[in-house]
Amino acid sequence: MKAKCYIRGCAAISPQESFAGHFAPQLLTLEGKSMMRVKEPDYSGFIPPNSLRRMSRVLKMGLVAALQCLRNSNTSVPGAIITGTGRGSLQDTEKFLHNIRDYAETALNPTPFIQSTYNSVNGLIALQQQCTEYNNTFVHRGFSFEHAVLDSMMQLAEGNATEVLTGAFDEMTDEHFYIKSRIGYWKNELTQPAELLDSNTTGSISGEGATFFLFSSKPSDICLEGIKMVYKPSGEELQQALQAFLSSQDIAAEEIDLLVSGRNGDTQYGHFYDGVEGEFSDARVFYFKPYCGEYDTAGAFGLWAAVKELEIGPAKTVLLYNNFYGEQHTFMLLRKAAI
Amino acid sequence: MEALKLKLKQQIIEALNLQDTKPEDIDDNAPLFGEGLGLDSIDSLELMVLLERNYQIKVEDPREGRKILQSVQTMAEFITSKQVA
Repeated sequence: MKAKCYIRGCAAISPQESFAGHFAPQLLTLEGKSMMRVKEPDYSGFIPPNSLRRMSRVLKMGLVAALQCLRNSNTSVPGAIITGTGRGSLQDTEKFLHNIRDYAETALNPTPFIQSTYNSVNGLIALQQQCTEYNNTFVHRGFSFEHAVLDSMMQLAEGNATEVLTGAFDEMTDEHFYIKSRIGYWKNELTQPAELLDSNTTGSISGEGATFFLFSSKPSDICLEGIKMVYKPSGEELQQALQAFLSSQDIAAEEIDLLVSGRNGDTQYGHFYDGVEGEFSDARVFYFKPYCGEYDTAGAFGLWAAVKELEIGPAKTVLLYNNFYGEQHTFMLLRKAAI
Repeated sequence: MEALKLKLKQQIIEALNLQDTKPEDIDDNAPLFGEGLGLDSIDSLELMVLLERNYQIKVEDPREGRKILQSVQTMAEFITSKQVA
């Protein structure tokens, strides 16, 4: 899709010190297992204590990232709330399932059941901000956030809203880490983020995060101009999709001065990144997964990093490329807007 | 009865994650909902689960539940009456 979607503000809770809005990526030192956890801010300034006590970790992360994004954008009630999540509230889902087993399907706590639904974060944002507008959550694994972005762009393009709060949230639990490790998602040996891209092994480092953007049809400094998703392409099909995307955006590969790449250190999918990065030999490349880890909606952190790079400069035209374990591939084009 | 009320307060604090609240902060006769602890409808469901899990008491009638969950005192009296019966 090609459209003018201006980014008025953003906020991220990630394994980095990102919540304050600074972009100073640090390679963390992990202990025990290849898993990055977010640095949680103080939630008490955002959520009333009586609500806070009931919320699980990802709900707090999602709600507070959304509220901080609205604050950063000087907006209170957006025209729509659209999010993506690959796993929703895993902590609540696991608690509920354990309760079913432990209490033989009787005496089940209502709170984890209510909060385990994927759209809980959206509901909390809407309640807190008294927003009765369009509200939607996409749950499509590695395309979850990307479909939220696509929906947001369409809402703006069709004039249904002038400002859309768009975001993504995912958490990792020890139990889910173990389950995914059995199907090869993570590095078998403890791998440090600094070694991730040179590890020459399969699997990646697990990550998590909550990232929100305020998209607007009113011009501002940074513009998301296009998005293209490709499902399970071959290497050749991906290259064709890239060329078609660039052509549809009327841009030549030489005009891209920064490529934000989702390379995750898994040798099984490195050839996709080799192919894409090979098309932009003159561009600087920023790899974001060593800073946030791999998760279904890591692309949202990639977009946040792209926005921060554009804010800082000198990059003016950025292409974001990410794929989720070789299945869901996404290109996004961003530019520093000439207002 | 006093031991039961103390135990109930501890269980309520744990079940509802009432951070920064200690058993001695909860008055036996203070209303649990609205004023007092300021609990809400989801908390009332959590308290029903607490009764079922810890005291094997299932409250079927919501109107009865409203009376039982008025305060720690009314909860303790209800539990005692069921245990005697």
